[in-house]
Amino acid sequence: MAEFIRFERITKFYGPLCVVENLDLGIEKGEFVSLLGPSGSGKTTLLMMLAGFEQPTSGNILLDGTAINAVPTHKRDMGVVFQSYALFPHMSVGENIAFPLQMRGIGKAEVDERVKRALGMVQLSALVDRRPSQLSGGQQQRVALARALVFEPRVVLMDEPLGALDKNLREQMQLDIRDLHRRLGLTIVFVTHDQSEALTMSDRVAVFNKGRIEQIGTPRQVYDEPATRFVAEFIGETNLVEGVVEAVQGQEATVRLPSGAQIVSAVSGTVARGQSVFLSIRPERVDLSEARGEARNVLETEVTDSVYQGDHLRVQLQNATHPLIAKLGRRSREFPPGTKVFAAFSAGDCRVIAP
Amino acid sequence: MSAASSRTGRSLILLAPLLLFLIGFFVWPLFSMMSQAVSDPAVLKLLPRSAEVLADWDRKSPPSAAMQTALMEDLKAVDDDQALGDMVRRLNSARSGFRTLMGKTTSALDETANPPADLVSIDKRWEKPEFWLAIADALSPYTDRNLLAAVDFGRNAAGEIEHLPPDQSVNSVILARTFWIAGLVTFFCALIGFPYAIIAASLDGWKRDLMLGAVLLPLWTSLLVRTAAWFILLQEKGLINDLLLTLGIINSPLALIFNRTGVIIAMTHVLLPFMVLPIYSVLITIPKNLMPAAASLGAPPLRAFLRVLLPLSLRGVASGGLLVFISAIGYYITPALIGGPGDQMISSIIAFYATGSANWGMAGALGMVLLVATLVLYSVYARLSSEEPGRR
Amino acid sequence: MPMKIAKATFATLTILFLVAPLIAILPLAFTSSVILTYPIPSWSLRWFEELFFADAWRRAIVNSLIIGTGTTLLATILGTAASLGLRNRLILFRGTMRTLFLLPMVVPAVVLGVGMQVLLAGFGLTNSYLGVIIAHTVVAVPFVVVSVTGALAGIDERVELAAQSLGAAPITVFRRITLPLAMPGVLSGAVLAFATSLDEVVLTLFVAGPNQRTLARQMFSSIRENISPAIAAAAFLFIVATVVIGLVVVLSRSMLAKRR
Repeated sequence: MAEFIRFERITKFYGPLCVVENLDLGIEKGEFVSLLGPSGSGKTTLLMMLAGFEQPTSGNILLDGTAINAVPTHKRDMGVVFQSYALFPHMSVGENIAFPLQMRGIGKAEVDERVKRALGMVQLSALVDRRPSQLSGGQQQRVALARALVFEPRVVLMDEPLGALDKNLREQMQLDIRDLHRRLGLTIVFVTHDQSEALTMSDRVAVFNKGRIEQIGTPRQVYDEPATRFVAEFIGETNLVEGVVEAVQGQEATVRLPSGAQIVSAVSGTVARGQSVFLSIRPERVDLSEARGEARNVLETEVTDSVYQGDHLRVQLQNATHPLIAKLGRRSREFPPGTKVFAAFSAGDCRVIAP
Repeated sequence: MSAASSRTGRSLILLAPLLLFLIGFFVWPLFSMMSQAVSDPAVLKLLPRSAEVLADWDRKSPPSAAMQTALMEDLKAVDDDQALGDMVRRLNSARSGFRTLMGKTTSALDETANPPADLVSIDKRWEKPEFWLAIADALSPYTDRNLLAAVDFGRNAAGEIEHLPPDQSVNSVILARTFWIAGLVTFFCALIGFPYAIIAASLDGWKRDLMLGAVLLPLWTSLLVRTAAWFILLQEKGLINDLLLTLGIINSPLALIFNRTGVIIAMTHVLLPFMVLPIYSVLITIPKNLMPAAASLGAPPLRAFLRVLLPLSLRGVASGGLLVFISAIGYYITPALIGGPGDQMISSIIAFYATGSANWGMAGALGMVLLVATLVLYSVYARLSSEEPGRR
Repeated sequence: MPMKIAKATFATLTILFLVAPLIAILPLAFTSSVILTYPIPSWSLRWFEELFFADAWRRAIVNSLIIGTGTTLLATILGTAASLGLRNRLILFRGTMRTLFLLPMVVPAVVLGVGMQVLLAGFGLTNSYLGVIIAHTVVAVPFVVVSVTGALAGIDERVELAAQSLGAAPITVFRRITLPLAMPGVLSGAVLAFATSLDEVVLTLFVAGPNQRTLARQMFSSIRENISPAIAAAAFLFIVATVVIGLVVVLSRSMLAKRR
């Protein structure tokens, strides 16, 4: 399948500061790609360059096979949704949504028709004559969305569009946007620093750090198979344990921990015998029991604390050399501090990561 | 990058008209005023030949024949009476007696029937080196005479800087008076404005709006209207005297106008808003729970005020005070209309030199003194108000 | 409690000091007497008649309107353009230019007047309307710059970026977004520029000839030479105009605030 958007060796400097470094990224038509990373990682800058608000210092941006570096923003045909919504404060909701259609010289009757349809799509038909300042944050957000979609742009760009909403509304909007994406077949590039948002909505997630992409893949890939320590730590919670590779067998490696325990784990990338590595073990994949079971990987630990958190039980453990966290389902029994337990997990539930 | 540079180009095109306008009609006038203060072409313009000859003179010996001939030729060549008048006035101010001497000399030179042999034959005074010295000193196109005179200094016959005699020392009196009146007005503005701002900031609702409106209304009202109002109120048969007489507080009308009292009252009224508003704007940024917090920590109200509110609001008082003082030292209209002859400030003297006696040099020199004082105070004010509030 | 009474008394007396002089002058505009004192013998509109029909006053009013309009146009155009230019953070000497634009507000009027007279005489512009308009514009322009830069600073730059991304070319962004949003600032700047010109005396004294005598200049010499209740009538008009202008400014500010 041909790539619709292509970033080719993009580098961006602000004065002496390099914010995007030699970056390559391809996005397919109809795909929902999230750019995920901490603030300052370059994800927003990349989006701004795609929208044409910023120019790359070097490299090319291609849209449907043609370079668009020299195309000014207003001719790029991309709908942008900002975190602050950026609605026109002196225009009504209807006028805001009609604006991009008027810019394209569309006749009044069709403008009215399409504004009506767009408002219906975001369920705001009743508010057509209101000013943005008279709307709630969630309503403003939906107006911004309608305005960015009404002219059927080739790409929709979203810069942390849900950041200012409260938690419940944010989760509702995540599902609404995902639904629109599927129904309309939109190509969406979505910037966020919220990993659960990225996992919920995206076809693929690109994890940014210091101007580079650390890993790009489906939500399942970046969560279950983190390629780097940064990805493992940034997405979800994880236990990172240092160790040395003893043997490599295909997609698995045997790692010896400082305590002497041997762990068999799946491998991201390539590692060699004798190499110092990290093991990433997701807390919710750890099982606890007082008897050594049949699992391949078992660590002897002692419970230091245990916290009931409603949907799960969070247990802090201490092994001979390192702490460990386990999240247990709410049906699990309690483990009072001081209890000696065995922490077990399968080889597929942990990853070897080269440092 | 090209988008950024074309944006810069656009911005420069937008800025250029005002920039050029202000350079042409604001910066340049100020410079030409200052150059008036130091330029002194009146004598050099008319006496080019004498200038050449006098350059070789030792400034002590009696005038040589060459010097006399050169001056006679210069004077014969003058055909502009106004320029001649300017030169005579300039020379007379350096050495009294020049007016009669020049009058006698030029009319003698006009006698074409019986041309005089030399200047000494016209008037014995031309023998004295003093008069030639005055001409020699006046030949430079630049002078510090006006600037020195603006602060009551001058050069004696030997060219040394010295204090002018007391009967000529009017400027320092006026400068001192200007700063004294401005200081008094600033003091009264602070005395009224500081508590007023504190009370306004502690209120809310219509009471606060009323107190702020009472400050804004005069601020927006024409300065002339306010001065006219005070003129009417303060006059001998004005409302204030009427009221005091009716109440029996006084037996005969008080003199409130054309004196210092009237000037101070009217200027305090005019400038009070400039004190209240900066203080108020600082005070409203102070969290309202600070004073209760101080009280809960055991500070009695006065102590809480001195230790908490006062230090936090001093910035506002300082910028308000500077604003009032800067405005006050440049005031013209109010002292001119309400004050008496003894209450005229530096602006009035500048206006007098400029329009009354066409002495542009002195007007420029005094203007420079006022301008420098204003700009120095303003830079302090700008630094004070650009600091972020709360950072100390 | 005594503290509270002291505060209330102080506030009331100060409000009285601030406002009473302006109110006290108002009834005198309607006196039938030729002197400006209370009590007023009987009511009359003769001083308004004088204001509008006596040659000196009528010409002064007309001159003020001509010069005020010219100043407002020139100052608003120059000040608005410059404020737009100042938005660009990449401009060199941005702070210096901003200071220069505000400085005419600070420099004493008499100092500027002396320089202005010397300069305009050199151009042959003294005793001309153009000269007076130029002089007034110099002191009016800072008010426009302050007002418009304030309004522009309140515009979220992302709103303009959004308009671009929705297909608006730069000139359209300016026409449809930036200018309408800055309009309240431009308008209140224009009002302040007009008010500055209307009230300006000192520069007028230096650069205007007898044919450009403005209302403020006429009031000045009338107070100085032969004060009559015509002054009170003129002051009455000024105060009424101030209240109206003040309301316009307040309303446009609150309009601005409501949009945000």
